[in-house]
Amino acid sequence: MGQDINVKKLKKNAFRYSKVRGETASRVRIPGGLVSAESMVRITQIAEKYGNGTIFVTNRQGVEIPGIRLEDMDAVNRELQFIIDDTGVNQQERDKGYPASGTRNVVACPGARLCPFGCYDTTAFARKMDQTIFPNNLHFKVAFTGCSNDCAKVRMNDFGVIGMTEPQYDPNRCVGCEQCVKYCKKRSVGALQAVNDKIVRDPDLCIGCGVCVAYCPTRAWTRSREHYFRLVLLGRTGKVNPRLAQDFIKWADEESILKIVKNAYAYVEEYIDKEAIEGKEHVGYIVDRTGFDEFVKWIMQDVQLPEKAEVASRLYWDGKRYDRSNNLK
Amino acid sequence: MAEKNPYIPFPSEILEVIRHTRKEYTFRMAFTGEVRPGQFFEVSIPKYGEAPISVSGIGDGFVDLTIRKVGRVTNEVFERYKGQKLMLRGPYGNGFDVSLYEKGEVVVIAGGTGVSPVRGVISALAGTEEPRDKHVIVGFKSPDDMLFRDDLKTWAEKLDLILTVDGAPEGYAGNIGLVTKFIPGLPIRDVAEAQAVVVGPPAMMRFSVMGLLEKGFQEKNIWVSQERKMCCGLGKCGHCRIGEKYVCLDGPVFNYTESKDMID
Amino acid sequence: MGYILTKEGFDAVVDALKEQYRLYAPVLKKGEGRFTDTDVVRYDFVETAGQIELEKKSDYAFKELLTPLSETLFFFTEDAVKPADADLRPVIVFLRSCDLHAVKRLDQIYLANGKDRDWFYQRIRDCVRFALIGCGRTCADGFCVDMGSNRSTEGYMFSLDEVDGKILSDVKAPELEGLFAEKAERAGDVTPRYVTENSVRVSVPETVPNSIYKAGLWDEYSTRCIGCGRCNFVCPTCTCYTMQDVYYTDNGKVGERRRVASSCMVDGYTDVAGGGQYRKSCGERMRFKVLHKVYDYRRRFGYDMCVGCGRCDAVCPEYISFSACINKLDRAVKEAQSNG
Repeated sequence: MGQDINVKKLKKNAFRYSKVRGETASRVRIPGGLVSAESMVRITQIAEKYGNGTIFVTNRQGVEIPGIRLEDMDAVNRELQFIIDDTGVNQQERDKGYPASGTRNVVACPGARLCPFGCYDTTAFARKMDQTIFPNNLHFKVAFTGCSNDCAKVRMNDFGVIGMTEPQYDPNRCVGCEQCVKYCKKRSVGALQAVNDKIVRDPDLCIGCGVCVAYCPTRAWTRSREHYFRLVLLGRTGKVNPRLAQDFIKWADEESILKIVKNAYAYVEEYIDKEAIEGKEHVGYIVDRTGFDEFVKWIMQDVQLPEKAEVASRLYWDGKRYDRSNNLK
Repeated sequence: MAEKNPYIPFPSEILEVIRHTRKEYTFRMAFTGEVRPGQFFEVSIPKYGEAPISVSGIGDGFVDLTIRKVGRVTNEVFERYKGQKLMLRGPYGNGFDVSLYEKGEVVVIAGGTGVSPVRGVISALAGTEEPRDKHVIVGFKSPDDMLFRDDLKTWAEKLDLILTVDGAPEGYAGNIGLVTKFIPGLPIRDVAEAQAVVVGPPAMMRFSVMGLLEKGFQEKNIWVSQERKMCCGLGKCGHCRIGEKYVCLDGPVFNYTESKDMID
Repeated sequence: MGYILTKEGFDAVVDALKEQYRLYAPVLKKGEGRFTDTDVVRYDFVETAGQIELEKKSDYAFKELLTPLSETLFFFTEDAVKPADADLRPVIVFLRSCDLHAVKRLDQIYLANGKDRDWFYQRIRDCVRFALIGCGRTCADGFCVDMGSNRSTEGYMFSLDEVDGKILSDVKAPELEGLFAEKAERAGDVTPRYVTENSVRVSVPETVPNSIYKAGLWDEYSTRCIGCGRCNFVCPTCTCYTMQDVYYTDNGKVGERRRVASSCMVDGYTDVAGGGQYRKSCGERMRFKVLHKVYDYRRRFGYDMCVGCGRCDAVCPEYISFSACINKLDRAVKEAQSNG
């Protein structure tokens, strides 16, 4: 008897279309990359009971449970409920699995929970973002990284958030050892210099990475009470024009970023190519079509940026143009 | 607070500026007060800051301070001229007890700027009753680096001076070689009693003392002077401490019996 | 005389003291730690008793009052010098026993090493008196018991211990008896709490043979230590400083001279004018520091410099333990001695 499966529905329900006929893989969402050990045990149990005993760890911090028989999808969905509750993922109907797969798992580096350089709790912010934008079938990639090292590679996402701190300097605690100058130069952008044995920071060059704070032996440099963010836009991988996201706002706040990404959904709904196959078109290609100004008009709707924020009026992307030439000779 | 503040420098007039090499100058500074060769002053060098400088000469109403132009340390001072003033503190440190070297055989070994602190000692030796028993080995990197050229001539006439350079262009007529090369050949008659003074870069001092000991000099008759970055001269800043000794308070001149246990 | 106070009673004591004294105490500085959303405890002036951090040991020591991290000494022109003003209102410094023992070390260097007293230190020191914070239990890194600094029986105006919601004070300063008597719940026997055991033990060698100076035990620190100097900057007994001149005019004739805390672990400490550097490797610097704290200082002054507060251990970003090093030193000395 042939199997009658609605493949589009299967995909939206976060199951993978597999090359092995009759099989699928369950795509488990882990916003912010942090999951309880208990959930991992449950994932393992599903893999052993319904899958082929393996678990695939994805690039975007999800896991896929391969080798699931198509007829077991409902049972798997019921068993996923614990994990969905545990990871705090929005859901419309209980025991029915994930309600969408278009908006991808929200990625985060370990951030300030673990990393000495992390400027904020990346996982907490990623979960907040997931709460704000998921479920949604539109293809959005959002990622969070704790500092300018960008270990989460947020510049390959539609929306990338990079943590920043504004270094606070107390000259009375500075002994002029110049370790901050040395480390800023060697590990960052060289925004510091010693003048009269005290330190002067170039605020334009400074990327707010906090290396000076980390290496200051006397607490002359401390972090700003506020956590700040750099929002980078419209990076992507893919077949036509892969490119790195470019800086849009520096010294942004959390609330504005949540709103900007949320606003972008309305923009895409308005301008997405109605003929797009499976309703899937990268935001960046839509912006290429409508022009950047129109995009900004939509995403900045009702956004109240803090006074310190700097906003770029134009963005220039480059990247590889596969669609123009591929001749390497 | 009535107590005198030892950090406050006093202005001193530059009486004369003597240029030795492209890098080294002697400043003759107005000073009246007790001072011994081997002591040092903290000199406020405009646009640089304070630096400890050895006394290289002492006279009626003046001290000579020989400053080497290295790094950005002492560049600026050379643009100053006679009649202007520099801020000084000091003198600090123990200095040499020249009376120890008046009688009997004496060897002074000095390298490079190490000649400064012993210049006064050598001049005193030149004026003693048996100057031919006073042996002086002075070494410089090259002929161009020689300091106190006038003094060298005077010393050569009066006492047994061995002037040497580490290296020289072809055709140089003088001695070539490290100061240590000349230690074995020193014509010392009573090595058990002879006194020795060694001042210069650390390696030069180490090997010179080894040479003297090999020749039979007594440890207690060997004297060395240590160079350190003294920020205060008062035993507070800590930069010159070696073991339990403070170079600024207990030195810079040490008997070898003490200095051999001072490990940096 | 001892007093037992309610917290409110102690608040009232602090309020009254404030009329005559500035109060300098350990304070928890939220978010001012090295990493995001971490705190640091360091000294600052406080207005209320509640601001005083009585639980955690301060990361940075009280010495920043007596020997500021950066202190302008005087202003100069070509031929005149004017000492900088300092705030000379009386201060009470709240500190623990280890730190009170450290004061003796600071005084030793600044007032009694060499014939000159440090004028700038003296003028602040003359304004400072102490309040002893008792230690109900040992801190994690301290080894005060082995260094003999776990207990202080004098040198403080009053002590303070928080026990079961009450403040216990042993008042030593006669002029404060009246105030405490008035604000206290009752008088009683009070002995400031002190620890008699630490989890960290050290064995300090009595003598260190010269061979140890060149021994291999220091080598590991050349690769482990990054030469940041935190161990020195947090140490309550480190006194080293460096002079800095700042010029207001291009000719370098007018400006100010200041001194800043210095560290024998950082680059530049031993640089001399000719470009020479005496201790290039961090292993050599470690040797210099450790031997000073537990041997060289004692050879000069008769007692050890280190008070065993353990701050250097707690602050080291490379997890280098000073106490562990003392024990390594001790083992190396014993080995050298047994080898004859």
